[in-house]
Amino acid sequence: MTLDQIAVGNDFVISSLFAQGEIRRRLVDMGFVSGARGRLLRKALLGGPIEVSLGTWRVAVRLTEARGIEVVGSDARA
Amino acid sequence: MPAPSPATPAAPDPRRPLDRAPVVALAGNPNAGKTSLFNALTGQNQHVGNYPGVTVDKIVGRLAFEGRDIELVDLPGTYSLSAYSIEEVVTRDFVLRDRPDVVVDVIDSTNLERNLYLLLQLQELGVPVVGALNMSDEAERKGIHVDDKQLSKLLGIPLVRTVASRGTGKDALLRAVLDVADGRANSLARHLNYGEELEDKHEEVMRALETDAQFARSFSLHWVAIKLLERDPDARGKVEGSHANAAQVLEVADKASEWIKRHFGKDADVVVGEQRYAYIRGALREAVRVEPRTGRKDATELVDAVVLNRFLGVPIFLLVMLAIYALTFQLGNPLSDLVQRGFGMLGGLLGGVLPDGVLKAFLVDGIIGGVGGVLGFFPIALLLFLGLSFLEDVGYMARAAFVMDNFLHLFGLHGRSFIPLMVSTGCAVPGVMSARTLTNPRDRTLTILISPLMMCGAKTPVVAMLCAAFFPRYAALMFWGLWLFGWGTAFVTGMVFRKTLFRGEDSPFVMELPPYRLPTPRGVFTHMWHKAASYVRKAGTFILAASIVIWAALSFPRVTAYSTDYDAEARAIEAVTSARLAGAELPQDRRAAIERERARSLADLENRKRTEDAAASFAGRAGRFVEPVMRHAGFDWKVNVALFSGVAAKEVIISTLGIVYGLGGEEPDEADIAEAPLTSRIRADRAYSPASALALMVFVMIYIPCIATLAVARKELGSMKWPAFMAGYTLVLAWVLAVAIFQIGRLLS
Repeated sequence: MTLDQIAVGNDFVISSLFAQGEIRRRLVDMGFVSGARGRLLRKALLGGPIEVSLGTWRVAVRLTEARGIEVVGSDARA
Repeated sequence: MPAPSPATPAAPDPRRPLDRAPVVALAGNPNAGKTSLFNALTGQNQHVGNYPGVTVDKIVGRLAFEGRDIELVDLPGTYSLSAYSIEEVVTRDFVLRDRPDVVVDVIDSTNLERNLYLLLQLQELGVPVVGALNMSDEAERKGIHVDDKQLSKLLGIPLVRTVASRGTGKDALLRAVLDVADGRANSLARHLNYGEELEDKHEEVMRALETDAQFARSFSLHWVAIKLLERDPDARGKVEGSHANAAQVLEVADKASEWIKRHFGKDADVVVGEQRYAYIRGALREAVRVEPRTGRKDATELVDAVVLNRFLGVPIFLLVMLAIYALTFQLGNPLSDLVQRGFGMLGGLLGGVLPDGVLKAFLVDGIIGGVGGVLGFFPIALLLFLGLSFLEDVGYMARAAFVMDNFLHLFGLHGRSFIPLMVSTGCAVPGVMSARTLTNPRDRTLTILISPLMMCGAKTPVVAMLCAAFFPRYAALMFWGLWLFGWGTAFVTGMVFRKTLFRGEDSPFVMELPPYRLPTPRGVFTHMWHKAASYVRKAGTFILAASIVIWAALSFPRVTAYSTDYDAEARAIEAVTSARLAGAELPQDRRAAIERERARSLADLENRKRTEDAAASFAGRAGRFVEPVMRHAGFDWKVNVALFSGVAAKEVIISTLGIVYGLGGEEPDEADIAEAPLTSRIRADRAYSPASALALMVFVMIYIPCIATLAVARKELGSMKWPAFMAGYTLVLAWVLAVAIFQIGRLLS
C-alpha cells in the first residue's frame, strides 16, 4: 500500500519509493528512506496534503507525492 | 552543464596556522538556530550582500576572538546539498569555489537524525567541518541525552554544544573552529562507509578521476565520485568542463551507476541516501540516550491539533493574516503620515533657504517630494516585514502553506504562494520578496508576476476616493468588491500563466513543519532589518530616478506665455486686499475673513497656473498623445497624466489628479473623503460617469506595478525580462478590462 492509503493516527514503515527525479531526491533528503518509521498525523481539509512524523520531525507531502511512497501499515496505535 | 566551470581556486595549502583572518561559513538546516548563532557571534557587526547571480541574501560578519579576526558568512538554510533549490546551489558553490577555512554546521539537537544528514554531506564535500550541537538545552529538557564526545568520535567531526539564543558555548565553538582552521584538529580523517558494494564502485570512479592531477587538486575527488554515482548533473558538468579524461570518467561512472541500479534494484542516489541515514542511526544508537516519553504531548503537537485542524486551519490562517494586516495599518498609517510630514518640513526648510528657480523646484518638489511620497510607504512595508519575520521565526509559514495548498493547487499554484499574495494586499514589495520561500523557480516567478494585482496599501486611497466620489451610497461595498477583484484576477491570471508560460509537472511538495519556537525580539528585529535593508538597497535608486523623471515630465517644458498674466492677477488681489484692510477700523473677525479670502484667491490662482503648466508639460502632452487609445476606456488626458505618475507610486495618482484639476497637491483627508474638494471636482467633471469611474478603478488595480515593485522583482528574478513582461501584461490586461467595463456601461446607460 502507499502512504496516501494510511489512516490518520496509524503507524507505517517505508519499504520503497516509486517516485522519480526531483520528487524522489527531496523525499530521500527529508528522510523518506526504506526502513524509516513514521505516523500519519493528519490530513488537510480535502484529504491532502498530509502530515506525517518521521522520527523526531514532521513533514507535509501532497497526495501525489504520498502515492509514490510504498509503505507497510500497522493499526497498532502506540 | 556543458559549459566549462569557472576557474577553480588553487589547491589548498598544506596545514599550518593561518596567517590571515580565517573565513568561516555557517551552514545548517532551516530552523536549526543558524541565524541566532550568527547574531550571537557577530553582534551588530553584520553586512547584508548578495551571492553572485542569485537573490539569496549573503550576510557577512566579523568578529574577534582571542586576538584573532574571523570572517563569518551566513549560508542559506538547507536540508541537503542536492542542488535542487537555489539555497542548496548557493551553499554548495560557496563551499566548493570560495573554500571557506571551516564550515560550521548548526545542528538542531532535538532533531539529530535529519540534521546530521547535512553534516555528513558537508564532510563528503571535503571541507573542514565543525558541528554546533545547538539547542542542547531543549534536547535535554526533551529527554534527549547526547554523548557529544562519543558522537564526535564516531563521526570524526569536532562537535560543540551550544545554545545560540543565549550565547552559550560560543567560546568553545570558536576554539574548535580555530583548532580546525590551524590544522590542530582534523575533521576529514574519516567519512561514512557506504557499504561494501558501493565503496567498491566508488573506488573505481575515484581511480578514473585520479588520472588528472590538476583536477584532483581542484576538487574533492571523494565528493565528485559519489556525486557521479548519483548522476548529479552539476558534478557531471564539473567533470566535463575540467577533467582531462572526462569521457572515460563518465563512462566508468555510468557503468558503475548501472551496476548499482541492477544490484540494489534502485538508483544510486537512493542507496546513498539510505546509507547516510543508516549510518546516522547507527551512530545515534551508540551516542544518544532518549528517555522514553512520559506520554505528555509536546507543545507543537498541541498547537497543531488546533492550528492545523481540518476545519479550523483556514479560518485561523485568515485571522492571523488579518491581525498582521490590522497591526500594520493601525501603526503604519500614523507613521506614514509622520514620514511624509517630515519630508514636507524638510522641503519647506530647504525651500525657505534656496532662491526660487529650477534648482529649488528640482530639490524640493522633485527629489524631496518624490522620494518622500514613496518612502512614506516605508513604515507600512517595515511593519509587514516585522509580521513576516515573526511568522517565519515562530514556524508558522509552513503551516500556512499546508492549510492553503489544496485551494491554491486548484489554480496551479503552490501552498506557499498564498503568503506573498496576502502580504501584497499590504504592499507588493514585501510580497514579492516573501516569494523566496518558494523553492521552485517556476512557482516563484509565477507568484511574483501575479502579486502586484492585489489591492495594495497605496492603491487603497485612490480606489477609496473614487468609490466615495461615484458610488457614495455603496462605497464600502464597492471597495470590498474591488479588493476581492484583486484576488480574483491574481488567481485567474496565475492559472492562465500556469497553463501557458509555466507548463509542466507540479514541483514537489515535501515540506518540513518545524517545531514552534518563540523567537527572541532581537532575533525578529534583526530579521526584519535585513529584509528592510535589502528593500532599500534594491529599490532606493529606482525610486529616486523615477521621482526625478516624473517630476521633470510634469514640470518641463516651462510655459513661456501663459494665457493670463498670473503675476498681474496676484498683484491685483494683493492690492484689493490691502485696500480693504486699510479702510476704517475693522473688527478682528472681519479682518481675518478678508485675509482668508486673499489666501484662497492666491491659492486658486496658483492652482490655475499649475494646471496650465501641467497641460503644457511633457506629461500633459503624453497624456494627450495617448488619449485616442485611452478614450475607449473613458480616460481623458488629465487621468492619463495621473496614471503616468502612478507608476512611481500608486498613491501619487491622487496628488497628480489634484494638480491637473487645479487643486494643489494636497491629499484629501480620509475623514471627509466624500466631501473633499478633489472628490467633488472629479464628480462634477462631465467627462466622468459611474462606468468610467469603475473602469478607472479597475485600471488602477491592474496596470503597471509601481517602480519599487518592478525594481524588487528585477532583483528577485535576476533579470529585466520578467519585470518588463509584468509591466506589459498588466498594462494590456488593465486596458482591455477598463475598455470592456466602460463600453458595456455606456451601452447600458
